[in-house]
Amino acid sequence: MSPVELELLAIVKHDCPVCDQVLPALDSAGARLVSQSTAEQTAEQVARLSLTHTPELDPELALSARLDPDAVPALFLLQDGDERERVIGLDRERMVELAAAAGKSLVLDGLPALRPGCASRTRDPEVAAWLAARRARSEGRIRARELALGDLEDPIEALHDRGVTDGLPVVPPTPERVVAMLQHSSRHPQEVVAEVPPYGGVATVEKVAINAVMAGCAGPELPLVLAALQAACAEPFALHGLIATTAPAGPVVIVSGPYAERAQMNAHGNALGQGNRANATVGRALQLTIRNLGGGLPRREDRAAHGSPAKVGFAFPERLDETAPWAGLAHSRIGLGSEETGVTVFAGESPRLVVDQLAREPEALAASLAAGLESVASTRVRLAWDAMLVVGPEHGRVFRQAGWSRERLQDELFERTQSPAGSLVRGAGGIAEGLAPEWASDPEALVPKFPAADRILIAYTGGDAGLFSMVIGGWVSGTLGSDPQTVSVEPWR
Amino acid sequence: MSCGLRDVMEFETLGRPAVLAASSAFTGAADEQSVLLGQPDLRRVLVPHPIQDRSDDELRVLAGDAVEALLAAVAA
Amino acid sequence: MALTVLDPTAERDPAGRPLAPRDHAPKTVALLDIRKPRGDVFLDELETLLRERGIEVLRETKPTFTKPAPADLRREIADRCDAVIEALAD
Repeated sequence: MSPVELELLAIVKHDCPVCDQVLPALDSAGARLVSQSTAEQTAEQVARLSLTHTPELDPELALSARLDPDAVPALFLLQDGDERERVIGLDRERMVELAAAAGKSLVLDGLPALRPGCASRTRDPEVAAWLAARRARSEGRIRARELALGDLEDPIEALHDRGVTDGLPVVPPTPERVVAMLQHSSRHPQEVVAEVPPYGGVATVEKVAINAVMAGCAGPELPLVLAALQAACAEPFALHGLIATTAPAGPVVIVSGPYAERAQMNAHGNALGQGNRANATVGRALQLTIRNLGGGLPRREDRAAHGSPAKVGFAFPERLDETAPWAGLAHSRIGLGSEETGVTVFAGESPRLVVDQLAREPEALAASLAAGLESVASTRVRLAWDAMLVVGPEHGRVFRQAGWSRERLQDELFERTQSPAGSLVRGAGGIAEGLAPEWASDPEALVPKFPAADRILIAYTGGDAGLFSMVIGGWVSGTLGSDPQTVSVEPWR
Repeated sequence: MSCGLRDVMEFETLGRPAVLAASSAFTGAADEQSVLLGQPDLRRVLVPHPIQDRSDDELRVLAGDAVEALLAAVAA
Repeated sequence: MALTVLDPTAERDPAGRPLAPRDHAPKTVALLDIRKPRGDVFLDELETLLRERGIEVLRETKPTFTKPAPADLRREIADRCDAVIEALAD
């Protein structure tokens, strides 16, 4: 083939001593020179080396990104613009050969035979992030509208002003941060996770990632948020009703399985409290996504009389170590293997303490915890409400040593949360609330608190010391209300 | 001028439609300013330059010419 | 440096900082004088024209045209009026 169709291209930058060494020879040989540096920096290099040709600039590093050399100087043999061969760094023999193939005489006498070059500017972390964001946009992986915040706006205030926060400041979701977040799921960013009530906004993986950045997630939490959203938008969870209710409940996320640790969640002391980034941000990311895609806002579509702090976000992992009395909640609900991770989403309020410092036998402890469960919503609310019991390790040990399964505990709690109809009827004890009189025709008849034993969800987490468990009151059960939903995290990783 | 559009942005944030009446000499600056403030659609009604050299009667005519646009800017 | 972020919403609303709703004609309008010379003549005429249309007018003055209106003044205007016309920037 005629050498006329071949091009010798050199990519250089101004602050690279190896580029300085080879540029004069490349210049004399008539290679096409392209610099990754600015106009001023390039001019300075031209003057310093007394080059006869000024290298072209590579605005926005488009050419460098396309050919993507690790290091400069990078010498390319191009045919009709396509790469045939390259030499990275100073390799005298190969560079001379490459130049000859392009019909150019390159004289590198007196230079070292081999010398590695300097990192290409495309490898600079900030530049690499910006290039990745640009590539994601051009490849259609990023499609969200760009919001240009005004120069005169403070970015934090600007996001509050646009109504996309939960009242706390959010991390500005720049394209670079969102692209970095998307690395934590293998799913395509344009895949639809759910349509979010009340207005049916389409939540793609990309939209969830944007809200996860805003919530403050570091990255590994993303699959947990995706799974939680999938679960929350499943029809039986009744998210629309949960948003619209005057009751305080919101989506509570329980993570069961080894991925919780990969995401650096805390299942030990203060697991339901503050201080751990993943615990704090998974629930928050879910609620920001629901708010921003679904459009349901407090005092408008969200009619909660009080709400609760849990509605800012509430997520915690189960502690599935050697102290755990049972397999994970998700594992027992949908049959996951122990190496898998699942999330359960439950309509719940803020947690409340049940203290029992004396019970050493499982029956006594179950009775004590049952008293805490029976008062969820009100002792007078019967057969209508769900609840979750979060068993702490010191209590868990009692059940584990007695060999009680989760189902056994649920049954025992169900039995012990029954009360005689006569004590529950309207007017009993001077309390107006209660069962309608026709339900209390036999005052001795026992009325369960819960519709069934399996409506009492049981999770396990917390610190080693403390004879405590926590009750998370739920919401209306079943077809009139919400059904807890469990999904696997694995497909979202 | 720049303070005027800042005021307009703040009134909008307080829930009150607002509009700035300004000399037509500032049309480009107004466009730039509203972008910098984060809302390119901040309302402005331009009044033909110059202002300072006009007589009282001329200013009243300018007000008469502008009033419909000013009302429209805060009503729709 | 202006920051660009990706929209976290379903993108139903226009981009940009939200504007106030404009769902009815204002009954009371504040005329805010920025205190540049000759502005008062323009504003006096606007006041007459607005009153002729049955609109109530509140006249206010900024302490200086060189700074944004003080927060207290903005708050007071927002409490007492439906809409604001600020004039006359030159």
